Amino acid sequence: MNEELLHKYLNNEISEEELKTLQESETGREFLKIAEKTAHFNTPGFDKEKLWENLSNKTVSKPKVISLFKYKSLLKYAAMLALILTGYFYVTSLDASVTSGLAEKRTTTLPDNSEVVLNAESKIVYNKKSWNKKRTLSLQGEAYFKVAKGKKFDVETNLGTVSVLGTQFNVQSRDNRFMITCYEGLVEVTFNNQSLQLPAGNKVIIENGEITAQNQISINNPSWILDESTFDNTEFKLVINELKRQYAIQVNLESVNNSQRFTGAFTHTNLEDALKTITQPLQLTYTIGENNLVTIYGEQ
Amino acid sequence: MSDQETVCKETVYNKLFQNLSPAIYNFIYFKCGDVARAEDLVQEAFIKLWENCSKVPQIKAKSFLYTVCNNAFLNEVAHKKVVLKYAEKTTPSINEQSPQFVLEEKEFEKKLQNALANLTEAQRTAFLLNRIEGKKYREIAEILDISVKAVEKRMSQALESLRTELNTKNI
Repeated sequence: MNEELLHKYLNNEISEEELKTLQESETGREFLKIAEKTAHFNTPGFDKEKLWENLSNKTVSKPKVISLFKYKSLLKYAAMLALILTGYFYVTSLDASVTSGLAEKRTTTLPDNSEVVLNAESKIVYNKKSWNKKRTLSLQGEAYFKVAKGKKFDVETNLGTVSVLGTQFNVQSRDNRFMITCYEGLVEVTFNNQSLQLPAGNKVIIENGEITAQNQISINNPSWILDESTFDNTEFKLVINELKRQYAIQVNLESVNNSQRFTGAFTHTNLEDALKTITQPLQLTYTIGENNLVTIYGEQ
Repeated sequence: MSDQETVCKETVYNKLFQNLSPAIYNFIYFKCGDVARAEDLVQEAFIKLWENCSKVPQIKAKSFLYTVCNNAFLNEVAHKKVVLKYAEKTTPSINEQSPQFVLEEKEFEKKLQNALANLTEAQRTAFLLNRIEGKKYREIAEILDISVKAVEKRMSQALESLRTELNTKNI
């Protein structure tokens, strides 16, 4: 039997004659019968429509899922944008604040170009938005103001309020000491329901709600702007507090009379020098230890 | 032009399913003889096609489906011996056959069914793709990813073992 002819038959490529040749042998006839009979069989069918239904539940419905997901991710961005915008508007409507840390001085410009120089560990808070309508800021600590001419300018502190119309002045509001120095123009100081007008070249110190000193000054700027702290008959405790602020140090006092008064100045640039200028006039001694710990000893 | 259309398009996908699923189903059925498993595998193959619709061009879809099924089948470890049951095609009623001849024919078909079930999976798949699906050797070679020579060999082996089995039982 010719196997090549058999394959031709199976491939449906056989001619009449070739088929006859194939049918001549017994084996060939048997093969042909098997092949022909098998062609009459079929598989048990399957439910194509049901399968498609199953399938489309799992597949074709997916694009919707995908598009929904895309829409969701858009929502995500929209929410983020909304949050950022709200945040932006909220922040801009909030009060702006400028803070200076220990041993730091900061200069800042207000929306009307007024200039504020913050001494160490001080803070101002003001509202950018309403600044043009109302020039009011609150101050903790000490700051020097160069106010642009314009409407009333208020500096609020917890010890009183200073109001001006375009001038240069310094306000110190620390502990119970409220000291205002006016370098140019006219400053009005309000405290404890009293008010006082301070002309250029004058300084007033208010301690515990009482005026303790009011005198003329000879300089055009507060000394701290030039890296020096000046004291005039000031409690020693306040001098030490200022020293701590300017050098970011810890100060330990041992048998030192806190309430003695100090007149003088110390530099902000050299701790040793500053300590010398503070301690020597009062006949005190000092040591500088680790971790910025300074100890000052009283008379032994 | 339709070749350019992506399988991801629902109408294209549906058309592919309508055209190809019966052949795919038969192909798997020839291999395992299990209706439920064949249906599952068809479904799995088409799900895979959908998941990869952007990567598979329409003209490659057919061979993709066969390959997926083939692989799925290879991955299935447990091959249980199943008895194939082939539904008979409505044969053109041959006029006035003698009852004995009809009986003999029936007997022969029954034996042939058993013999087909006893073929190796490789022989059976090739043989039935040719006989029932009417596929040429070249197409079978493509589907099974073997050479045409190998198809020829499987066909010969299948025929030979069918003939032997039918003859032994006849004795």
